[in-house]
Amino acid sequence: MPKNKIYSTVHSLVFTFILMAISTFIAFICFELVANNYANISLIYILALVMVARFTEGYWYGIVFSLFSVICINFFFTFPFFKLNFTLTGYPLTFLIMLTITIITSAATSHIKIQAKQLSEQEAILNKAEKEQMRANLLRAISHDLRTPLTSIIGASNSYFELSEDANITPNPVQTTSIQDKKDALVHQINDDAEWLLNMVENLLSVTRIQNSTSTKVNTSLEVVEEIVSEAVMRFKKRQPDASLTVSVPDEFIMIPMDSLLIEQVIINLLENASVHSQSEHPIIFTVKDNPQYVSFHVRDYGIGISPDLIPTIFDGTSTRSARMSDAHKGMGIGLSICKTIVSAHSGTIQAINYPDGAEFMFTLPKEEAHE
Amino acid sequence: MNNKFTVLVIEDEQHISDFMYSTLTSHDYRVLQAFSGKEGLSLINSQCPDIILLDLGLPDIDGHSIIKSVREWSSSPIIVVSARTNEREKVTALDMGADDYITKPFGTGELLARIRTSLRHSNRLNNDSPLFSRPYSAGGLKIDFSRRMVTVDGNSIHLTPIEYKIVAYLAQNSGKVVTHTTLMTQVWGPYAASDTNKILRVNMANIRRKIETNPADPKYIFTEVGVGYRLKEDEQG
Repeated sequence: MPKNKIYSTVHSLVFTFILMAISTFIAFICFELVANNYANISLIYILALVMVARFTEGYWYGIVFSLFSVICINFFFTFPFFKLNFTLTGYPLTFLIMLTITIITSAATSHIKIQAKQLSEQEAILNKAEKEQMRANLLRAISHDLRTPLTSIIGASNSYFELSEDANITPNPVQTTSIQDKKDALVHQINDDAEWLLNMVENLLSVTRIQNSTSTKVNTSLEVVEEIVSEAVMRFKKRQPDASLTVSVPDEFIMIPMDSLLIEQVIINLLENASVHSQSEHPIIFTVKDNPQYVSFHVRDYGIGISPDLIPTIFDGTSTRSARMSDAHKGMGIGLSICKTIVSAHSGTIQAINYPDGAEFMFTLPKEEAHE
Repeated sequence: MNNKFTVLVIEDEQHISDFMYSTLTSHDYRVLQAFSGKEGLSLINSQCPDIILLDLGLPDIDGHSIIKSVREWSSSPIIVVSARTNEREKVTALDMGADDYITKPFGTGELLARIRTSLRHSNRLNNDSPLFSRPYSAGGLKIDFSRRMVTVDGNSIHLTPIEYKIVAYLAQNSGKVVTHTTLMTQVWGPYAASDTNKILRVNMANIRRKIETNPADPKYIFTEVGVGYRLKEDEQG
């Protein structure tokens, strides 16, 4: 802070001196052109005075300047020239008027400055509150979504232990195999829920990589499109081994700026969304198309489509998800809103389109880094 | 049973360490557990494990400095265990002498496959029998090093000398990840590596188009984004 203060003091001083020089110079020109034009010369000094008061901090520069201009006018431009003569009639009045102008202007400008500062502070507080609100909403939605699989995991593991106790009490060989089957089913369920939780957590992690949701900043580097696509597809297949999927990329070698991890997350979310919600055996078709300005990614399924009233808000997050999403995969609403956040942070677009025989999610990424 | 391979697990999380312990012992490995970097280093010195699984986020010593001090005198394979989000960290570890990495969370199958691959590569060194003596083969992809011939499903593939150099190096390290920097240095010399390594990526794209039926859904050459490439493991091990 003190460094700042020194800087602004120096700045004000220099500014005052420059204005002193300029106004005296202009006054001289006026004086030479139109002899004895006392009124114009005063006006020039008053104009400069207003500017000093407006653009410097505090009253002192203005007061010094008004003193200076009164002396200048007296010394240079009133008879006797190049001599100080304070006995001229009305002189104290001139000085008083200039001083008043200084003080009024300074007071007005400093008032304006204070108001502007207060205003921007208020805005910042409001912005922060809004962000807090968003964060709180997201957290609430997430904790709700996390609780479901966790409840199921805890329940399943409890039942597992109970089954073990039962088996110890009645060691019956026929029952033992059926108990073993039940146990396998329970562990399978635990595994499913854990996988789902992992997906959720990875989505959340990706959000933390976007530093600031309003200023859309991501760390991009040039990446080869087909490499990103193939890794995303590989990770998707690892998670959903039964899903059928056809992928195609353009023949050209394309490199575009992106945060690879985030874009992979978007692709995986869209593929997973298609495979879980389309309720269709028809393979998902994932195509990448090269356009002059951008690259577009299309995930097309041949399932039940999206209910039309959901489309306008489908990327908005949590509000509508319960209407359609099945219980086990509630988090997809968050998944899609995360897709939107990520794509927007890359200055791209994302949309959902309904067809008579299914749905398509597509997003675009610009080829050049957007210059703002 | 003294001919079991010894695996040292350096991991500070009790649960993960125990999970690896039970998996590996049930697959006939002898397992040593270390819960801190210091403990790990002293076990490496006293027990000379055949392979080291190293978690990068240890409380006492930085994982990278463990790799460094082990590499001063030992060539035992090191597999780094790390979280997915830190590509930079993985690349540094690999360039410092780690052999491979595995990303948390991982399944037992993945863990065992990585250990097998790394052990095989270190055995090859010990037995003094380089892979060059016999062809590489995985699925439909075959590479005959003596004749510099690459075939996919019996069809001969024409590669440029640079492309062949890349594929051959990946094949000699099949199953392991090879970093961008390593590949650049191996193929273009020690001063070629740059920030984007565009020349390597273009060549890889061309190789992919020649070898893979669908470059977006590869069967042989896998990309580890931000790290490097991995060629499907040789099946004749």
